[in-house]
Amino acid sequence: MTLLRAENITVSEGDTPILHPVSLHLDPGEPLVVLGETGSGKSLLAQAIMGTLPKDLSSKGRVVLGERLLDAARPAGFRPLWGREMAVLAQEPWLSLDPLMRARAQVSEAHRLVRGLGAAEARAQAQNDLARLGLGGAEDRYPHELSGGMAQRVAIAAARAGGARIVIADEPTKGLDAARRDEVADLLLAELAQGGGLLVITHDLALARRIGGRIVILRDGKVVEAGVTRSVMAAPAKDYSRELIAADPETWTARRKPPAGAAVLTATGLAAERGGNRLFSEISFDLCEGRILGVTGPSGCGKSTLGDVVLGLVRPVAGRVERAAGLPPTAFQKLYQDPVAAFPRHRTLGRTLADVARRHGQTQDRINALMPRLGLAPVLLNRRPGAVSGGELQRLALLRLLLVRPRFIFADEPTSRLDPITQRQVISLLTETVEREGCGLMLVSHEAALVGATADHVLSLGAEGSHTEMNGPIVAGALR
Amino acid sequence: MKTLITRGIQAVMVAVLIGAATFAMMRSLPGDAAYRIAAGRYGYDNVNTAAADAVREELGLGGPALPAFLNWLGDLARLDFGTSLVTGNPVIAEIGHQLGASLALAAVAVLLSLLIGPPLGILAGLRPGGVLDRALLIVSTGLKAVPQFLMALILILVLSVQLKLLPAAGHGEARHFILPALALALGLAAVNARIARDAMARVGAMPYYAFAQWKGLSRRQTLMRHGLRNVSVPLLTYLGLQFVTLVEGVVVVEAVFGWPGIGHALVHAIFSRDVPMVQGTALVLGLSFVVINAVIDLVTQRIDPRRAA
Amino acid sequence: MTDAVAIPRPAGQAVRLAGATLVATVLAFALIGPMIVPGDPYAQSLMQALGAPDATAPLGHDHLGRSIFHRLAHALRLSPVIAIAAVLTAGGAGLVLGTLAAARGGWIDRILTILADALLALPGLLLVLIVLAIVPGTALGFWAGLSLVLWVEFFRLTRAATRDTLASPAVEASRLLGFGPVYVFRTHIWPEIAPMMLTAAAFGTATAIMAIAALGFVHVGMRAPTPELGLMMVELLPYWREAPLALLSPVVATFVLLLGLTLLAGSRET
Repeated sequence: MTLLRAENITVSEGDTPILHPVSLHLDPGEPLVVLGETGSGKSLLAQAIMGTLPKDLSSKGRVVLGERLLDAARPAGFRPLWGREMAVLAQEPWLSLDPLMRARAQVSEAHRLVRGLGAAEARAQAQNDLARLGLGGAEDRYPHELSGGMAQRVAIAAARAGGARIVIADEPTKGLDAARRDEVADLLLAELAQGGGLLVITHDLALARRIGGRIVILRDGKVVEAGVTRSVMAAPAKDYSRELIAADPETWTARRKPPAGAAVLTATGLAAERGGNRLFSEISFDLCEGRILGVTGPSGCGKSTLGDVVLGLVRPVAGRVERAAGLPPTAFQKLYQDPVAAFPRHRTLGRTLADVARRHGQTQDRINALMPRLGLAPVLLNRRPGAVSGGELQRLALLRLLLVRPRFIFADEPTSRLDPITQRQVISLLTETVEREGCGLMLVSHEAALVGATADHVLSLGAEGSHTEMNGPIVAGALR
Repeated sequence: MKTLITRGIQAVMVAVLIGAATFAMMRSLPGDAAYRIAAGRYGYDNVNTAAADAVREELGLGGPALPAFLNWLGDLARLDFGTSLVTGNPVIAEIGHQLGASLALAAVAVLLSLLIGPPLGILAGLRPGGVLDRALLIVSTGLKAVPQFLMALILILVLSVQLKLLPAAGHGEARHFILPALALALGLAAVNARIARDAMARVGAMPYYAFAQWKGLSRRQTLMRHGLRNVSVPLLTYLGLQFVTLVEGVVVVEAVFGWPGIGHALVHAIFSRDVPMVQGTALVLGLSFVVINAVIDLVTQRIDPRRAA
Repeated sequence: MTDAVAIPRPAGQAVRLAGATLVATVLAFALIGPMIVPGDPYAQSLMQALGAPDATAPLGHDHLGRSIFHRLAHALRLSPVIAIAAVLTAGGAGLVLGTLAAARGGWIDRILTILADALLALPGLLLVLIVLAIVPGTALGFWAGLSLVLWVEFFRLTRAATRDTLASPAVEASRLLGFGPVYVFRTHIWPEIAPMMLTAAAFGTATAIMAIAALGFVHVGMRAPTPELGLMMVELLPYWREAPLALLSPVVATFVLLLGLTLLAGSRET
């Protein structure tokens, strides 16, 4: 028996359609993944099914839920279903919990007000739910005292407390690292095992793979391909699906190690702390021109701090970084996770680049020559950082660094906010640049697969301040 | 704890600043100040050089500045405010006498503003851009451009002179409260309403506000359980800062309506260069601000545990 | 503490334009009015006490037979000049000290913040009154007192914005690229604080004009016979029945000027 059937859902802004007719259905015990990049309309599809579209967007189509028939054009009709039939998980778990309410109360209020249990019973039930999700002992904590994974579990308990059988999760792993991502996926699948329905909206190929079930791939508001997740992932039928799936770092082939040049830096016995807690210690390595050192590990392990220590932005508690002799201070550069935040926001990009060029005795010609090499259109120079896509801006950030002729680049999660296809483009441009310019690159990412396929040497930091080595002898002098 | 220390430092600084300002005021009194003060105290017939010298000595008007200033601050630290130069009564007694009337007026005004402002602001913030929101924006902008004395003037002209509904001056009965309290409350309410509106609009746009409704809570339940509590924190913080505006309003409105309170006394004291009175009054007002804000800090930290960190 | 955050809302350009127009209208009246109809704001003529408008006094006469038109024009130059002088002084001081506190940190920051917090606890009118009692000359006293009160707001805004900006990746990147403090200020900090400065300046001017008028109204500000908005109102209040226009002129002018400044400031509450 089908739990939910959505028929010919469309979304438009005024007269402009932004989601073309999409139909889907949810069966008990079988998850459905809607996969797409930014702007594909995947979140709008979820919002139309839940009746939560913003007011300036209109929707058409119908949603059949058991005996009920709902008109997508009238979102008010969906409200009675929330919590009772459909449980909705929002993107960032921390933000979806009331910051001023303890975890248990956020769950028990749904038991009491939605299911109509008595106060004591609701409390006991909430206690139960949290314990079942492994949150025993955390009931009295406020959201800011929970980790991202814990907050997500509280949100799941709260969303489902009203008795809903269908779970709709919109980008449930946004901002989580690989380990947390798998944890959330398993949690959602466990909820599903009790006979409910699960709809997951995501851009994350790894999450899609882990959730399994059936998949719908969206692009520009249209369905590209649909089918069983495992077969689509193994053998995509359409060009776009192929490109998208090939962009998954899991499928990348490892880079051929280029010959090493002269050393640009040597780090010995580095250790750093944050708020009195030791992040890492005894880290030694050196890096040569043309080589890539990958650093990976879970959130909070100090991998970004390590990069800042190498750049001299953070003072280490122990150890030292020696730069190759004769390098100017600007030879060490950084590529940021959020490129928008790394540019002066009130200046056009052209002006910012011209400033850098002038500061380093370069001319506009150099900028003009680099633009096409990085696949950038000249028109972008007239815009401000906020008006350019993430992928383009990250390439412009790379261009800005090249004007300085760096010997070392620290790339701090440079693609974690980009869509998979763009991520692949940016990473390959980055590796090409390193080889062509002959500088050392320290690539920090929480995605082990990406780092594994890109880096010549990998340094893996553990969560508890311990660090382990991956693929052979890496640390301490191995790069010589 | 950290909050209380910070507030404590603020209180000390407030006292030092007031001490410095009033000391400078004392030093800048014209040459015959001691004579004039002595005259004010003992009557013109009884003033002689000895009496003036005594006053000069008492107030530290002569001598080098630095020891005199330290002496001045020392008196302040011992909470020895001295006596009024005009009446000769201890400053503490004078202030105690007037504080009650001011507190009553301020309390009525604040209560009135809270009854008008935040409820309207929250209703407007629930539907940003709606009819109520736009109307409230226009009214509150207009009200904000009317200083309290002008509000008092308008209220007197309309309600007292033209319509003869209420007395423009006087004190003691409930109806005497209406005009001065209203003159204060309308301005406060205009700003309260905007703060509440902005806070509500921001809370309403938060993911947790939507999520509470997705859990199955009704709009009303969501507002009661997740809206008001989150709105209260910025609103309370703002009310603490608004205390300064309230005090300024009280000073002006009391002077306009002849209300026998601390503001009225302060204006008189400054006018007649009664420095000890100015000092005492200013200190009471400044320290009240610190105390009220310390209490608000503690309350908001109870509501929002993140603030305690 | 005391960091009630300013709430930025896109200030409608139309609203700001309307505000600027109101302010410009009032100032144009003050500057150009007396050129079109020349007259003396101080000249008394008891024969014409509370007289109706005529060619030499387009807004009628006050209780001493002085031309309301010319007194109002004079008053509308006096308060804005004092207010703008105080705002410029306070804005300059706040900007410099705020940037310094944010950039240097440490003791300078701590001392300035403690000082600003203490001033925040004192009613502005009270400080102005005390300074008025110390400084000889009422206009000078107002300028000094208002500057002392108003710099705190500029300081707090500048310090907060500069601190946030200096901690941003954009500034870190600029420094890594080899740019110095002048470039960082010009490119990163100033564009962030400039719009806030405009808003704070408009609010500060309104606050200053209100303060001058309020103290004039309760007889502790400008002294008679100087034409000043609050003073004019309180002088004309007893003659409301005989000469309503005489009282309404300064009331309306004050309201329009303050409304214009409030609108010009855009929507921001602190």
